[in-house]
Amino acid sequence: MRLVEDRDRRKRVVINIVVLLAAFICVAKRSSTLHQTSTFENLLIDSFAPLQNSVNTIRSNISNFFTHYVANISASKENGEIRKKIDDLESRIFNLNELEKENLRLKNLLEFGKGVGYKKVLAQVVAWDASSDFRVLRINKGLKDGVLLQAPVVTSVGLVGYIYRLTDHFADILTVLDNNNRVDGLIQRVRAHGIVEGYSNEKSLMKYVSRTEPIILGDVVITSGLGNIYPKGIRVGNVTKIERESYGITQYVEITPAVDFGLLEEVVILLAEGDEQKRREREALDQMEESDDASAKLKRAKR
Amino acid sequence: MRGSWINLLRPLGLTLLILVLFEVLSTAFFPMIGFTKYRLPFNILIILYLGFKIENPFLAILIFILQYAHSFFSIEGWEMGTIAGVLICIVISYLKDLLHLSSSIMTILVTQMFQLLWFVIISTILYIKTDDLSYILEKFWRFLPESIVISLLAPILFVVLDAIWQSEQRSGLGDSV
Repeated sequence: MRLVEDRDRRKRVVINIVVLLAAFICVAKRSSTLHQTSTFENLLIDSFAPLQNSVNTIRSNISNFFTHYVANISASKENGEIRKKIDDLESRIFNLNELEKENLRLKNLLEFGKGVGYKKVLAQVVAWDASSDFRVLRINKGLKDGVLLQAPVVTSVGLVGYIYRLTDHFADILTVLDNNNRVDGLIQRVRAHGIVEGYSNEKSLMKYVSRTEPIILGDVVITSGLGNIYPKGIRVGNVTKIERESYGITQYVEITPAVDFGLLEEVVILLAEGDEQKRREREALDQMEESDDASAKLKRAKR
Repeated sequence: MRGSWINLLRPLGLTLLILVLFEVLSTAFFPMIGFTKYRLPFNILIILYLGFKIENPFLAILIFILQYAHSFFSIEGWEMGTIAGVLICIVISYLKDLLHLSSSIMTILVTQMFQLLWFVIISTILYIKTDDLSYILEKFWRFLPESIVISLLAPILFVVLDAIWQSEQRSGLGDSV
């Protein structure tokens, strides 16, 4: 009896050590900015995500029934459409202002922006991340719909984030509220640079802004276009808190994102033409690596 | 529950099913009705149950499987939860004679205590990785309400899991009634 217990204990200790070691190695290697899914993960996420999607569908059907038919037959529907139109118009005005300023500054750069066309993919938010430590949204569009890893995600009012994890039919967005997401930002009025980093459920921080920059409350923050993920000129949010100490070289800038993440239902994924080229380049590099590995194995076998 | 790996498959399958159901509720249903700030970590509750009630050399692998299923719903991944889960189960195995889940109040208190230990382990790993203490402080204020709700749910869920793992004859952490 004692022998069996000892054997069980030894087995338990060995398994515990192996599992802990594997977990420690994987946690050290894990990237917080990008995650490539394996075929197995892909399959399982695609199997579970429709369950999340169905909850969303049931909720929206019930909600639609009450808001559009029971409570108010047509007014709320019209109101929703008008609000959407106002958001679109505001976004257009904002874009036009930004273009005007850009034209003034970059008169000579006539080639600027030429040929950078974006394909848009509309997606619906189906779930949030299971841990409140991460501000991640799951959407119902994936690889099969043309979505690519690290593609920027926006709404008509501003920046949402980028594609962090991707399966055939679903994708996870790392939002600008997550502290693993860093956006190179620009204060629109004074053109001061900084890095926008997620902080809490409603706020982001703009780091590394020089203390001498005359930022004021309400200043608009836009993407600078640096960093190779987000295109230039997308609205990130507004400055809502500034703290300047008498020492140091930077100032504390808090930003409220333009997008209300609590009410987010639909998003737009921007796909640049260059993304497809990048994907082909990556595939070609992968194929080259695979063929190199195969030839190395062949040489070893010959020896 | 002692025995071979084969005997664990049925209860493990049912537990995974419950975990998936709770994860769908937590990630899709609750945020849809306005609870976007907090997320209930049902994976922690199930792993704590296994630590309290299951005596099996394959416990670490069970924890890994549950955390792996959890990783499909969160970018957190399986690693940190597995480390915390295995370490906590080792601690529980040494405290078995001291702790008893004889009443609902005790179950709530013990669950809350070990959730605090879970938070400490995860925060330590996060601090090593990010070197950012303010993030951990912010995480603590979210952890408090989430963990209290989970502790309050523990007596109910433990009854369900007792039925699945057939460990209702054990009144507490390993002691027979």
